[in-house]
Order: sequence, then structure tokens, then C-alpha cells
Amino acid sequence: MASKETLHILRDPRTLYLALVMPVLMLFLFGYGVSFDLDHVPVAFADLDRSEASRALVRSVTGSRELVSAGEAHPADADQLFRRGLATALLVVPEDYGEKVARKERIRLQLLVDGSDVTVANQVLSKADALVRAETKRLSGAALAGARAPLEAKIWTRYNPAGRSALFMVPGLAAFILAITAVLLTALTVAGEWERGSMEQLFASPVGRLEIVLGKLAPYLVLGMLELLLVVAFGTAVFDVPVRGSLGLFLLVGFFFLLGMLGQGLLISVVTKNQLVATQAGALSSLLPSMLLSGMVFPIENMPWPLQLLSRVVPARYLVHALRGVLLKGNGLSVLWPDLLAVGIFAVLIVAVSTARFERRLA
Amino acid sequence: MTDALRDGRAGGDPAIEAHELTRRFGSFTAVDRVSFEVERGEIFGYLGANGAGKSTTIRMLTGLLSPTSGTGRVAGHDLSRDPKAVKSAIGYMSQKFSLYLDLPVRENLAFFGGAYGLAGKALEARADEVLELCDLRGLGRSTTGDLPGGLRQRLALACAILHRPGVVFLDEPTAGVDPVARRTFWRVIRELARAGTTVFVTTHYLDEAEYCGRIGLMVDGKLVALDTPAGLKRTYVPEEVLVARGRELRRAAAALAARPGVRDVVPFGAGLHLRVEPGSLSPREAERLFAEAGATEVSVEPSEPSLEDVFLEVVGGGRA
Repeated sequence: MASKETLHILRDPRTLYLALVMPVLMLFLFGYGVSFDLDHVPVAFADLDRSEASRALVRSVTGSRELVSAGEAHPADADQLFRRGLATALLVVPEDYGEKVARKERIRLQLLVDGSDVTVANQVLSKADALVRAETKRLSGAALAGARAPLEAKIWTRYNPAGRSALFMVPGLAAFILAITAVLLTALTVAGEWERGSMEQLFASPVGRLEIVLGKLAPYLVLGMLELLLVVAFGTAVFDVPVRGSLGLFLLVGFFFLLGMLGQGLLISVVTKNQLVATQAGALSSLLPSMLLSGMVFPIENMPWPLQLLSRVVPARYLVHALRGVLLKGNGLSVLWPDLLAVGIFAVLIVAVSTARFERRLA
Repeated sequence: MTDALRDGRAGGDPAIEAHELTRRFGSFTAVDRVSFEVERGEIFGYLGANGAGKSTTIRMLTGLLSPTSGTGRVAGHDLSRDPKAVKSAIGYMSQKFSLYLDLPVRENLAFFGGAYGLAGKALEARADEVLELCDLRGLGRSTTGDLPGGLRQRLALACAILHRPGVVFLDEPTAGVDPVARRTFWRVIRELARAGTTVFVTTHYLDEAEYCGRIGLMVDGKLVALDTPAGLKRTYVPEEVLVARGRELRRAAAALAARPGVRDVVPFGAGLHLRVEPGSLSPREAERLFAEAGATEVSVEPSEPSLEDVFLEVVGGGRA
């Protein structure tokens, strides 16, 4: 019995792949790529004092491995900076910083943090805190031993003052759910139909390939849009996720994303023609990238650059970015047009490829 | 009733023309330079062993597969240049049942009718018509999956003729269907042909093949024989056939085969078929020979050569 099973396993490369390649892949991804660790987070600074002391502070804060300088900015620009993703935090040094340091008085620093990505925000906060304490120690030296810290960072988190992870997760989850169901649904139904043989009858009729493809995808498109609305409605109602931007833009990006995912599922079923394999391939190709490389849970900025590059071809990344932008920051088309373009291109490309593969199937 | 001739093409052009039709899959030649013509209103049978290339030929003629070389015209349209027009003008029933099992009969008809451009009242009326034609009255609401095999196949045929095609291709339409249902099926086919529809059918059931006007036989991708059933029998089984039944016949097989005038001794069901030159051996003589060799309860009777004999001769090489 056991030897027969072994023969089966050896003969079926898919089982081997699942058992051996997948774990390695995941170890690699999780170990190297996706991490909760902070790395190169852009922090802008507004040095209103411009004294030697303030410059020293800025240097120590932005000179660490975890936080890098995103250049100078004005406190009023914080909104723009965060919306465009140019900086995740803004350190404001008051104009009397140098004086107060000399007089050894307490100083209030202001750190504005973009709270829409909770993971990063929390880490920035704690890191900044640690750096400020270190600077304090350096400044105080032995003189103020035991006294209260002269530097106090007042932290102000935009977009997600309570730092609630639901606000952060819901957009990511929406993308994740859509990706999986869209790919799986089409993979199952179309591949299933192929297995059953009803595709052949359809091909014998004068109905064109594109007609068949679009006809098959349309109901799932509607279903997927409903799903998207449901997730957002639920998020808004139960988790108080705000909808600060245009719902129309949100739906538009969602629509193209869906189309792309459905096309992906279709392509998988056209290529595999087997329900079982199609579901496996579908789940893997949509689940892993959507969860690990889309910025849903693990910040993209923290990944090593090969994975960051890889994440550029993951449509879910653009949806997550766009959803967060629209829901939490109220971003409009002017900021999000790259995301819309990206999902649009992906959708068109993949539908074209799967239609073309459809043709080649029998002829 | 001329509802079959949809194209409006005048004249006596053949309904199906194949000229040196070839299909290769890599190094394997599935169909090798097959040429034939099928007249309008003919019931054309296509026989051959499994893997001989019958389904591949049909797939090429229905536009599902493009030929590697060669040309074909079906219902007046060129296969390579105008596959879509071919598809609109023909009906196709695939070997594997390919209607949707979870839908009721009516919806399957509606779907496939729609694929061919039928809609609304016209679709409904025609659906009623084909249900009547194919003896499926009253089953409109039944779930397709619940129908027994024979009825399902008739439904598939019904879907294939919804748009009144001039030519229908049936790929093993009665596979796995009980004899009574098969009879009914062929009754429908014959009615279609009478009305002017050309029917191209492949089958393994040689008794059905007798219904065909002409039969083509495929062996290893080549069309090796093409004639009426009677013609085929005359060509390939020119001898008389004696059917021997009884016990322990095999013992006598060698002795009988050695007898001059006996061309061949072929096992056939529980008995033997003796192929003898006309007049060389009478049934009574054969019975005696069998008895001498130790067979018992022997009866030998003259018989008409059947298509099965033809098939075995052509495909099996004839020599047992």
C-alpha cells in the first residue's frame, strides 16, 4: 500500500511541489521579505530653530537605520506629505530649541505620524521615542542625572488617531478577499466546465471567444463588486472605518482590480483545464501575493528590494494603496491615478491573454 | 418539409467535401489525407476502431480543430477560411455529453438556441418543435441530470438541430444507450434525413451502421473503405458465411480451416463464422466435420455477411 502511494506521489509532480517547494518558498518569503521590522522609514523634519543643537537632534533621529531623512518640510505640509506617501512622519523642532537646550529647560518636540499604516506608525513612534531619549541623555550628560527628561516628544497621529488596526486592516482585507474569491470562483467554474465537456459544445457554436470570456466573467464581476461594497459597509458600520474620499473612485479601482483577478482565474483554468489543479494554482497565486506582498499586513517599505520589485506586479498592492488612500486619507484621482492605471493595465492584459489562450485551446 | 436547407444554396453541391484532410499532433498523424464527399440528405456513417481518427475528422469538419493540411467545405463554406460560417450552418453533438446537468431541459434548449441566434417567441416555438421531433414531449421542466441516458442523448440531438442546420455531425450519439432508445434515436435521424438534413454520424454499433446510406471506414488515420453497406459486404466478404453454433467447436476449427474452400474460421460470439467460397461447403457437411472432430450439439446455418464481418476483415486484417 505504502509503496503504491509513494509511486503515486512521485508520478504527480504537483504533490511534490506542494510538499517541498512551497515550504521553502514561504520560509524565504517570511524570513527575508516580510517582516515587522522597521527599515528606512522616511521621516521629514521641520527645523524651525536651525541651531547646532537642533541640527544635531535631526541628525540623530534621521541617521538611524530605521528612520531616514525625507528632507525638510513645513509643518503645514504634513497632510500633503502623508497623502502622497512621501514621508511617514514629520519631526517639528521648535524655534527656541537651541536656547532651551543651553538653559537646560524642558523642550517640547512635535512628531506627526501618518497613522494609516498602523504597523509602521507604531514602530516609528517607539523608535522615535527611543532616539529622543538617547539624545536627551547625550545632552544632559551627568548634569541632569535623575531630572526629568528635557525632551518630550508629543506625538500626533494623523488619519488614525486611535491607532486602530481595523482601519488599517479593512482595506487590506477587502483586497485579499476579493483576490481570492475572484480567482477561485472562475477557476472552479470554468475549469469544471472544461472537465465536464460543455465547453466543446459552446465552441462548436458560432459564439465568439471574447463573447464567451466576457459572458462568463460578467456575473462574477457583479458578485465581486457587491462583495467589495459589503466589506466596506461592514467596516464602516461595525469598525467605524471612515470613508473620507470618493466612493466612485474606490469602486472604479475595485472594478478593474476584480476584472484582473477574474481574468487571472480564467487564465488558470484555461491553462490547467482541471478543477483540482485550478483551485490549487488559483489559491496559491492569489492568496500568497495578496497577503504577503500587497502591503496588507507587512509594510512594503520594509521588504528587501527584490520583493519590493515583485510587489509591483501584484495588483493587490495597488488596490490596498488606493483603498487606504480613499477611505482613510480622502485621496483623489490626482494622487491615486498610478494605482488606477496599474490595475487597469493588468486587467486589460490578462483578459487579452486568457482570451487568446482560449482560442488556442482546441485549434 | 425543407426546413433543413438553411443556407439557400442552390444546386447539387455536396453537403460535405473533404480533400486530403490531414491532422498531425506533433509526430503523430491522427488523420492522413482523408478525402470524401457526402451528398445532401445522406446519412453518412463513419466507422473505425477507437483512436482511428473519427473524432478528429469530425472536429476538423465542424471547425473545432484546424487541419494541418488539406481543405474542406461544409454546407458551402470553406473550413479554413470561414469556420464561423460553418459553425452557424451545422449542428454538432459531441461524444461526451456536454449539456448542463443542473439545468432543466427548457433552459438548456434556451441557452444553446441563444448561442445560435434564436430568441423570444421563435426560440420557444422551435424548442417545442424539437422536443416533439425528438420524442421528448412533456419533459421541458425536468432537470437534465435526472434524465436517463437515452433521453439525454436525444436532448443533445434536439439542441443540435434547434437552428435548423443543413448538416448535423453526431459523434457516437448512442454510446451507452439501451437498444430500444437507440431505435428511437435512429428513427429521429432518419426523419431528419428524409426532410433533407445531411447526417454525418460515427458509431461503434454496426447494426446501426446498416441504416446508413454509405459508410466510410477509418483505420489508423486513413480512410480505407467507402461504400454502401451492401457494397462493402460484397467487396470485403465475398464469400458465403456459415454460422456454427454448438459445444466444443474450437476443436474442429483447425480441421475446418484446412479444408479446401474454407477461407477463414473466425470466432464470433459463442460460435464460429466460417467464410467459405460460394458452393464449396454446405452446412450439413460442415456439421458433419464438426461432429467428427468431437463437437457436440452443432448446428450450422448460412448467413448474410454482416458489417461486423466487414469490420473485422478491414480493421482486424481478416486472418484470425
